[in-house]
Amino acid sequence: MKIIILGAGQVGSSVAERLVSEANDITVVDIDGAKLKHLQDHLDLRTVQGNASYPSVLKAAGAEDADMLLAVTQVDEINMVACKLAATLFNIPTKIARIRAGDYFSYPQIFAAENFAVDFTISPEQVLTDYIGKLIEFPEALQVLDFAAGKVRLVAVRAYHGGPLVGHELQNLRKNMPQVDTRVAAIFRRDRPIIPEGQTVIEAGDEIFFIAARDNSRSVMRELRRLDKPVKRVMIAGGGNIGTRLAKALEGQYEVKLIDHNKKNSERLAQELDNTLVLIGDATDEELLIAENVEDMDVFCALTNDDETNIMSALLAKRKGARKVIALINRSSYVDLVQSGQIDIAISPAQATIGSLLTHVRRGDIAVVHSLRRGAAEALEMIAHGDRKTSKVVGRRIEEIDLPKGTTIGAVVRKEEVLIAHHDTTIESNDHVILFVVDKRMVAKVEKLFQVGLGFF
Amino acid sequence: MNLIASILPLANIVIDLDVGSKKRVFEHVGELIEGRGHVGRQAVFESLFAREKLGSTGLGEGIAIPHGRIKGLREAIGAFIKLKEPIDFDAPDSKPVSMLFVLLVPEQATDLHLQILGELAQLFSDKTTRERLLNGSDAAQLHQLLTGQHAAN
Repeated sequence: MKIIILGAGQVGSSVAERLVSEANDITVVDIDGAKLKHLQDHLDLRTVQGNASYPSVLKAAGAEDADMLLAVTQVDEINMVACKLAATLFNIPTKIARIRAGDYFSYPQIFAAENFAVDFTISPEQVLTDYIGKLIEFPEALQVLDFAAGKVRLVAVRAYHGGPLVGHELQNLRKNMPQVDTRVAAIFRRDRPIIPEGQTVIEAGDEIFFIAARDNSRSVMRELRRLDKPVKRVMIAGGGNIGTRLAKALEGQYEVKLIDHNKKNSERLAQELDNTLVLIGDATDEELLIAENVEDMDVFCALTNDDETNIMSALLAKRKGARKVIALINRSSYVDLVQSGQIDIAISPAQATIGSLLTHVRRGDIAVVHSLRRGAAEALEMIAHGDRKTSKVVGRRIEEIDLPKGTTIGAVVRKEEVLIAHHDTTIESNDHVILFVVDKRMVAKVEKLFQVGLGFF
Repeated sequence: MNLIASILPLANIVIDLDVGSKKRVFEHVGELIEGRGHVGRQAVFESLFAREKLGSTGLGEGIAIPHGRIKGLREAIGAFIKLKEPIDFDAPDSKPVSMLFVLLVPEQATDLHLQILGELAQLFSDKTTRERLLNGSDAAQLHQLLTGQHAAN
């Protein structure tokens, strides 16, 4: 596919990297030549320097031949105008814009074809806010992901000593709770994937991904590890876009404290947030943390735009007694450094949000893509089309489907009904199939598997 | 008269189309079909693209049969396009495509449409026919190769 990416920032470059490796023809546009140079030195792509919303720049980037436009600069307005021009002047069939300001989402009609012609919007800040919000709702989880509009959940937990299932075979899960249907999609033991089978014995430290209907996810978690006490108090470091959104989302249910170093910004936040205690200060200031009772915090979230500050303040909070600490870390080498150390959860914004873009870029009818384990694995929700003749999945039992190695089907959603996958579940047309792929190199094969044959109209 | 002949007027044979991408080919098809008074170009363009997203219609050996259902179209219509330069089409054999038979059908696809598709796939599976089509430069001659009969204009 010929794809134009506007913006060589974090979102643009991480998606470019991913798409180049998936054999696409990529052109990246940015006003900043240094950023483009960096990309071009590392990746096999074309770059165009200039204002991303100028027709001449879009044309130079190959807009007349492009299948898709990803407008992911940091400026909403540039992204929207670029989509409009892509539609009016160049007829690009698929246009995706990154939109940060919540205000625009209050009037969704502005994205319609006759207005800004944005086919899909993505909002990395919102994705991250939801991601962290889920971790606060489920403090025992490493990650909680929604599929089929929230009907199905994929949950990652680490099995701990004392969990009822640790030291037992996986099939006991079914014996212990016959009324709850679930499927373990993957297990990572010391960072290596194991394909789960009934006889697999769970070890302490295993990272387990299971799929269950939304209302069952908590009962399954309880089998794998004892539940933590629910979260009451949350401290957020950094009152930027993500910190503010998170505070807003949480302040109704939790006691929230937010630290920001900028006095003006803090005053604005204090106005904007109804139930959050806004503090002016440095997130790495030990005395401030102690004075604000960091030891009583159930979760401490370091969400400033500076990696070092996030790492240091999260470490400090943990040392001073915060129960669980989460840090946003942009540099992937840092994520690897701190993960599974003192910091409980390190989140890479690029990794967490790339799925929302991949959903639209991938071939096939794809509803959701989540990139997992720092991009090594992927979970997908794919919609099956066709019939036994034109599809390789429809009309077949799961055991009959030629799934690539390391791929499991976890659940099938048929209209409103959630079916946890078993070997004899038969896929029907329009089913939403939720798959877990332990090795992202197999994703292309999964896509192929779901493609319809020539005879499909 | 075979099925292909019933949907392919001589005027829908385009030779040496000079475009660099799938998108431009589909745009051109949209204009061609709109010009013949059937349906709007955008409907054709979007239908072909949407179908392509679900799975490539590339057959291999440089041939593709893009097809789609179009709301408001009364009967099936075809167009044959030879490109000046081959384009990438994500075909199963990864070879670029230089000849396309576009098939547009009404919203309610029937067995007849599947039969047309079958006939096309059969036609293009023959190596000699493919070579003749590739080397042919005259619309009437190509029409005859595709339909097995002399063009009635």
